[in-house]
Amino acid sequence: MTDKLKQPPGDLAIWIFICAELSVFAVFFAAYAFTRAKHVELFNQYQQTLNTNYALINTLALITSSYFVVRAVAAIREGSQRGCARWLLAAIAMGALFLVVKSMEYQHHFSHGVTLSTNTFYMFYISLTFFHFMHVIMGMVILAAVALKARRGAYTADRHTGVETGASYWHMVDLVWIILFPLVYVMR
Amino acid sequence: MPMTPQTAQGKAFIRPCTVIYLLLMALTLVTWALGKFNAQIGLPAMTLSMTVLGIAMLKGHLIGDFFMGLRRVRGPWRWVVTLWLLLPASLITLAFMQAGQ
Repeated sequence: MTDKLKQPPGDLAIWIFICAELSVFAVFFAAYAFTRAKHVELFNQYQQTLNTNYALINTLALITSSYFVVRAVAAIREGSQRGCARWLLAAIAMGALFLVVKSMEYQHHFSHGVTLSTNTFYMFYISLTFFHFMHVIMGMVILAAVALKARRGAYTADRHTGVETGASYWHMVDLVWIILFPLVYVMR
Repeated sequence: MPMTPQTAQGKAFIRPCTVIYLLLMALTLVTWALGKFNAQIGLPAMTLSMTVLGIAMLKGHLIGDFFMGLRRVRGPWRWVVTLWLLLPASLITLAFMQAGQ
């Protein structure tokens, strides 16, 4: 059995940041759930206007992107810089798919006159999902920077903390959506 | 004990992370199907909600352990994702129980 690590993969600073981000999302989720408890009818009624097929595609896209990131980390651990960059680009493509599908979803709602002030459900739906949307963009920028450095040969099988740091952030983005999807789209 | 099928050379031909990925995809489809077809399935709302929340917690735990690599970490960091999952899940459960009363 291999020795266990004292610290999680990647820079410890990113894990402090991840904890902060996860705490904010936990507060958001709790606020959604407790507000819903006071407006159950309203939340159940407007939840039905959401497209769960789009949410399914987005969940599959984010999980697939996370898997690609895992393969990128495995590739650099095996010393394959080009392999690492390729897996990261594939992950970014999945992130882009998420953004396109989410934008289509927003477009549908906005074209029907939905805004933040339409009602409490839409206020939570838009703000929660858009906050997450911004994190996806941020994650894609980080993955792109890491992919570029990997392609230039900045990481090796022994020295690849940057890849693990970017990977940890991206998995956090996935993790948040894993709770957001059932909470906003399915639970009633 | 190896958790993946082995080739004749003894090397795994499917990585553990690929098995976890396929499991995550399957659990996602189950969550979606429960939401989409609940009118036909007929689960009470609370049962549906707690089932999909439980599935989400399992998925989150798998992501933390296998994708983020926390199963290879000792000490408090080992449990950071699991503890985080428990926090919103407990509050969400409490809120849904409150809503059901």
